[in-house]
Amino acid sequence: MSQLDLLLLVLRVAFGAFVPLCFIAVLVWMERRGAAFFQDRSGPNRAHIFGFRAGGLVQNLADAIKLITKEDIVPDHVKHKFYFVLAPVIVFSIAILSFAAVPFADALILGGKKYLMQTIPTDLGILWFLALAGFAVYGIILAGWSSHSKYGILGGLRAAAQVISYEIPMGFAIISALVVYGTVNLTEIAHYQGQLLFGFIPMWGVVVQPLGAIIFIVAAFAEANRTPFDLAEGESELVAGFHVEYSSMKFGMFFMGEYVAMFTSSAIIVTLYFGGYQIPWFSTEVLVNNARAITVLLMLLMPACAWIFIRWMHKNNRSHYDCPDDHRVREALIYAKIIWGVVAALEIVLFIYLITVSGGAADRILVALLQIATFLVKTTLMCFVYVWVRWTLPRFRYDQLQKLGWQILLPLSLLNIFVTSAVVVALN
Amino acid sequence: MFADGLFLVFAVLAVLGAVGLVLFRHPMNGAMSFVVTLIALAGLYALLSAKLIFALQLIVYAGAIMSLIVFIIMFLNIQPADLPQEETKLLSILGGGIVVLPIGWFLFKIVKSLPMHSVAIMGTDFGGVKEVGLVLFRDWLIPFEIVSILLLVSLVGAVILAGKRGTAK
Repeated sequence: MSQLDLLLLVLRVAFGAFVPLCFIAVLVWMERRGAAFFQDRSGPNRAHIFGFRAGGLVQNLADAIKLITKEDIVPDHVKHKFYFVLAPVIVFSIAILSFAAVPFADALILGGKKYLMQTIPTDLGILWFLALAGFAVYGIILAGWSSHSKYGILGGLRAAAQVISYEIPMGFAIISALVVYGTVNLTEIAHYQGQLLFGFIPMWGVVVQPLGAIIFIVAAFAEANRTPFDLAEGESELVAGFHVEYSSMKFGMFFMGEYVAMFTSSAIIVTLYFGGYQIPWFSTEVLVNNARAITVLLMLLMPACAWIFIRWMHKNNRSHYDCPDDHRVREALIYAKIIWGVVAALEIVLFIYLITVSGGAADRILVALLQIATFLVKTTLMCFVYVWVRWTLPRFRYDQLQKLGWQILLPLSLLNIFVTSAVVVALN
Repeated sequence: MFADGLFLVFAVLAVLGAVGLVLFRHPMNGAMSFVVTLIALAGLYALLSAKLIFALQLIVYAGAIMSLIVFIIMFLNIQPADLPQEETKLLSILGGGIVVLPIGWFLFKIVKSLPMHSVAIMGTDFGGVKEVGLVLFRDWLIPFEIVSILLLVSLVGAVILAGKRGTAK
C-alpha cells in the first residue's frame, strides 16, 4: 500500500464521516430558516457570539450545548436499559454508515490506478444502502419497545410498520432503475447518467425513469419518517412517539440521526435519479480535457458570484429600524471581508495551478473537487425539497398512509417494472 | 492474518448468538442475539468474497425477516409472565448437550482429518451480482423458477389463511 493509497483512504473515510456530520448543522439551520420562510417570519437569528450570528447558525451551537448539558435520565420503569441505550446508537450509526457506498466524484485515476470515490470502495452500491436501511428499523422498534410506555410503543409500532411497508415500493422502484442502468454499482449508475438523450437532454434517472423517481422519493420520505409521513411522532396524539422517554444526548442522537438519514437518502436520490456527481452536459473526460478553460471560467465566475452575494447580504443584513450604529451592518462588513479573502486565496491557488501543474494528474484532482461540489449542491437542493415538503403538506392519517403504500405505490411500481423491462428489451 | 482474526471474531459471534437464542428467556433477547448470528454469518460470507450473498443475507435475513419477528414481539408485547414455566430447562439443555456431543466430536475428527489444501482467492469477479445472476438465470433457470413458484404458493396460502379468519368473524 503506497502513501497515495493511504492518503486517499484517509481522505475518503474522513469525507464519509464528517460531511454527514457537518450537514446536520446545515440541515437543522435550513429546516428552521426554511420553516420560518414558509410561515413568513424570520426564524432563529438572535443567538450570537460577539455579535456574529452567521445567519442563525450560532443557534445550533446553543442547542447543542443545551442538549449536552441536560440531565441524562433513564426512566425508572425502563426494564431493558441495554436496549434503551442501544436504540439511539443504532439509529445514528446506521444513518452514517449507509452513506458509505455513495460516490461523491467520478473514479479518480492517479498514476494509472483507479480510486473509487466512495467511503467504502465496494461495487455493492445500492445493495449496501438497502441492507442498512433494513437495520434502521431495529433502532425505532427497540426505542419504542424498551421505553415501556404507551406513547412510545404506539409510535414505535407506527414507525416500524411504515418503514417495513414502504421498503417494498422502494425496492421495486430500485429494481426498475437497475433494469435501465444494468448495474448495481453506484459509480457506474452515475456514469450512465452522464450520457445525453437525443444528443441534448442529460440522461438523468428522472428523465428515463420518471415514475420510478416519484415512487422512490415518496418511499424515501416515508423511510426517513419525515412529514407528511411523520405520524410516528405525531405531537398531537403521541407527544413524540418512540423517543418520548429520551432526554439529553440520547434524544440528540435520534435528532441527529434523522438529519443524517435525510442527508443520506437525499444523496441516494441524487445518485439514482439526478445524475449523482455529474455536471450536466460535461462528462468527466470533457472536463479533464478542458481543465484550463474551466479554471479560467471559475476564476472569472467566483468574484462575480461573491459580489452578488455580498450585495444581497448588505441589503438584507440590517436592522429594520433606524439605529445609529447598527451592529448588523458591521457584521456584514466583516463577512464581506472574509468572503473577499477566501475568493482571493482561491484565485491565487487556481492561478498557481494554471501556470505550474495544469495538465496531468492535477486536472483530475480539480475535476474531482468540482464534482464533489456539484454533488453537495445537488444533495443540499434535495434536502431543501425535504424541508419544503415538511412545511407545506399536512400529515397523513394512518390508514391513508398504508393505503398509499400498498394500494397505490406497490401496483404502480410493479407496472413500472413491466413497462421498463418491455422498453429495455424492445430497444436492445 | 487479518482475515483469520476476522473469521475468528465472526465465528465466535455466530455461535454465541445462537447459544443466546436458545438460552435467553425473554423473546426480545433471543431475537436480538439471533440478529447477531445472522450479521456474523453475513461477515463470514463476505470473507468468502461472496459479495451478493453477503448483501442478500443482510437485506433478507437480518434486515427484513428478523425485523418482522422483532416487530411481532413488540406488537404482542410479550412479558416474562406470559411465558410458560420451564422448570426442566436446565435438564433439557444438559440432555441435549449430551446427545449432541458425540456428533460434534465426530465432526471435529472429520475436519481434522481433512487434507491440507492450498487456498487461493478466486478471480475478483467471483460472487459478484453479475456472475451469480448469470449462473442463476443460465444454468439453473428452471429450479430457480420452481422455487419462486413455491414462494408464491406460500404467499397465496398465507393470504387465504388470513382471509378465512376475517370472514369467520
